Amino acid sequence: MLSSRYLAIFFCCTLFWLLPFTGYADDLATEVIDAEITLQKDHYVLAADIAYQLSKKATIALQSGVPLYWSLQIKLLQQHPYLWDKTVLKTDIHYRLQYQALLNVYRLQNLSSGETYNFSTLYAALDLMSEIQDFPLIEKSKISPEEDYLCALKVKFDRGLLPVPLRSIAYIDKQWYLSSDWTLWPLKK
Amino acid sequence: MAFEKVKLPFSLFTLILFGLILLSLQLMSSATQESSELSALYSWLLLINGLGSVVLLSLVGVNIYTLIQHTKKREAGSRLTRRMVSLFVVLALAPAVIVFYFSMQFLHQGIDSWFNVEIDRALEDALELSQSSLDQRMRWHLKQTQQLTEKLQDSSENRVALDMENLRELSGATEMTLFSRQGRIIASSSINLGDILPSLPDKNIWLQLRQNGEYVAVAPAHEEKLMVRAIAKVDTQEPQYLQALYPVPVRVYDLADSVEFAFVRYKEMKFLRHSLKITFTLALSLVLLMSLLAAIWVAFISIRNIIAPVKQLVKGTQAVASGHYDEPLPVIAQDDLGFLVESFNEMMNRIAMARDETRIAGFEVENQRAYLETILANLTAGVISFDASYNIRTANQAAYRIFHIHVNHFIGRQLLDLINDRSELAEPLKSIQRLLEQAEDIWQQRIAFLGPNGRQELLCRGTPLYSQEGLRVGGVVVFDDVTDLIQAQKNAAWGEVARRLAHEIKNPLTPIQLSAERLQHKLADKLEPADAEILQRSTRTIVHQVEAMKEMVDDFSEYAKPSKKETVDIDLSQLVKEILALYTLKSGVKFKTDYEAGVLTVNGDPISLRQVLHNLIKNALEAIDSEGLIEISLHRVQKNNTNFIELALYDNGTGIKEDQIETIFEPYVTTKTKGTGLGLAIVKKIIEDHGGAIWVDTSRKVGAGFIIQLPACHSEPL
Repeated sequence: MLSSRYLAIFFCCTLFWLLPFTGYADDLATEVIDAEITLQKDHYVLAADIAYQLSKKATIALQSGVPLYWSLQIKLLQQHPYLWDKTVLKTDIHYRLQYQALLNVYRLQNLSSGETYNFSTLYAALDLMSEIQDFPLIEKSKISPEEDYLCALKVKFDRGLLPVPLRSIAYIDKQWYLSSDWTLWPLKK
Repeated sequence: MAFEKVKLPFSLFTLILFGLILLSLQLMSSATQESSELSALYSWLLLINGLGSVVLLSLVGVNIYTLIQHTKKREAGSRLTRRMVSLFVVLALAPAVIVFYFSMQFLHQGIDSWFNVEIDRALEDALELSQSSLDQRMRWHLKQTQQLTEKLQDSSENRVALDMENLRELSGATEMTLFSRQGRIIASSSINLGDILPSLPDKNIWLQLRQNGEYVAVAPAHEEKLMVRAIAKVDTQEPQYLQALYPVPVRVYDLADSVEFAFVRYKEMKFLRHSLKITFTLALSLVLLMSLLAAIWVAFISIRNIIAPVKQLVKGTQAVASGHYDEPLPVIAQDDLGFLVESFNEMMNRIAMARDETRIAGFEVENQRAYLETILANLTAGVISFDASYNIRTANQAAYRIFHIHVNHFIGRQLLDLINDRSELAEPLKSIQRLLEQAEDIWQQRIAFLGPNGRQELLCRGTPLYSQEGLRVGGVVVFDDVTDLIQAQKNAAWGEVARRLAHEIKNPLTPIQLSAERLQHKLADKLEPADAEILQRSTRTIVHQVEAMKEMVDDFSEYAKPSKKETVDIDLSQLVKEILALYTLKSGVKFKTDYEAGVLTVNGDPISLRQVLHNLIKNALEAIDSEGLIEISLHRVQKNNTNFIELALYDNGTGIKEDQIETIFEPYVTTKTKGTGLGLAIVKKIIEDHGGAIWVDTSRKVGAGFIIQLPACHSEPL
């Protein structure tokens, strides 16, 4: 006969099995090396240097024709000492990277701007994504000089857009934990 | 015919939940298809189904826990529920697991069968063929461009644009551009006149150009077309580069695209093969798990509903077993079990009615029995009943009063067991036992024995008891104490004798005495001295005898007349003291008295009671020697809820012979040489006239002892 003790153990095991792996694999994750927002004329613009990394499985998947998606998430938060921070700006840059077997090139699409680039090497494609230069964010007039602002940048590897069979595995396999953490820095006015 | 409402064994909520589970599973199944619009929701659906499984698992877990607790407490229906659930789980699980196993086998084999070496090779070859075709085209276009550069070598700067236009039209290029070494556009020609800016080579192309002096590549163009970009060096003084963009024919592009699509798709599928298996396995496992959990949960609910009437029946039977018939079970459903519950209720109702009737009958019987027992208990006649083995079954109070034995204590034992306590009852009881066993009909016998209060005479009537089948089931003996009756008859007879004697004999005595004295008086002087002496002696004898006869007649008269003439309250101790004071002067005799403290009062005639004491003391004095001892004690006793004053008188004289004890109180019974023998008879008569009793204390072994009990006065405290 099952006792209540065995039942408790059974429930605990079930919950443990269902718990998602919340930790990121630091060696595989994308890293924001440098990022700054500067004022150019009337606009604040973003410049960032990002080190994209691909795990072995992600590389094989890419070379097998699986398209990979990243989104560069940019936020500008107005800080309040006692309340939640107010999101002044929230914008994303979406990238799609796919290998073209016929021409043996890596095709990188900036889905936000609609631009397409072809690269003969993977590193060339990643290099393009790595460098963000003079990306206009917000007009100067919308930034109050009295308030403090916080800039946040994150590279999110979009597992939800992987092929369905890969998706469920991607949520539990560290090889697919390719997103970066949030990088935060104060806005220099 | 009325339509009966069909009641499902589970609620609407359960049905809705079950429907949601099915919908969720269906959505997840659809989402596994890449082309489905639901594929974007796949992860959410997977999570929802996972949570659904956890919820179902919790529900099943709670049900199992509850069932275990109920089983431990041995609640009604818990074991049946456990058995049914186990059976259901086994029945549901076994085929599901078998189907699951073979489905997995087929799935894995099916996925594996999609891929084989031949297709792999064929697709790679097809891709290579496409690439070779494009490569050949590229090289041809490069060569064509190189040839065009030769034609442009001689063109002056003014004519370059025009020559390029011609060359472009001749070569079939869509766009032709001449760049300086620094990348400046010298001239450009496009098939589309609207194109202001020509397609510029990027820095990688320039790098290759500077290294190799030429460049050719197929690059995607607008509108999902391919174009060949060929760049060749123009040998002029200032090196220049001619870029020509040649369109790939649509057919070639379509074919190449088709091949690439198939190749990429195949390769992707091959890469995803393992993931696909895992995904399908996960989906199938989730479907199986949720279906099984939902089925088990619904089974729990259904079985609980099915068991509910059984549980009620068990509780009902337990209630009936403990004697509660008053709460009918609710009829939940109009099915077989409902019919069973109805039948059970009817049975319970009938049992309750039968019980009530039995209880009423029992009350009546009990009342009857109590009534009869009361009558029996209050009967003056003793009644003892016997069972078939002649063991005592019942005995009433009167039996105790008559035998002075607690016959009730001998229930279940033989009648002869009473002898152990009272040996004097041996003969009469043996006689009764014999009659009980032998008599076939009503019998009657008079028996006598010496009881603690003297001789007792009983009139016994017995009857054997028969069952309806004619079997002997026991007997009943009824006995009356007729001692007093017989004594009364005797007393009446003696009284009549005494009265007649007094009347018939006393009347002639006076004339006889007078006549004898007259004879003496008349003839004494006339006779000779010798004759006169004879006469005197004779007349004296006559006178003396007449006197004696007179005394005797007086005694009889005394015996015959009522002794309780004038009653007053008498302090018995005082009376005894007064009388003893008359006798204490007699030398040699010692009196020892023992009076209980307090006033010992009786209601009676003081003269008669004095006579009683005189008679008894006289008898005692006559019986003892000159150095004798007479003990007198006075005590209160209680007998049959009545207070008595007991006077005991003992002497250490010659005592009474055993054969005389039974008749000592009858007239003309005496141990003395003189006297009429009426002394004790008169004593007994006086005492009985006063409602008391006198008997010889047979337990006294020295001398004689008399015990008198007189009813205490009502005012006498005890």
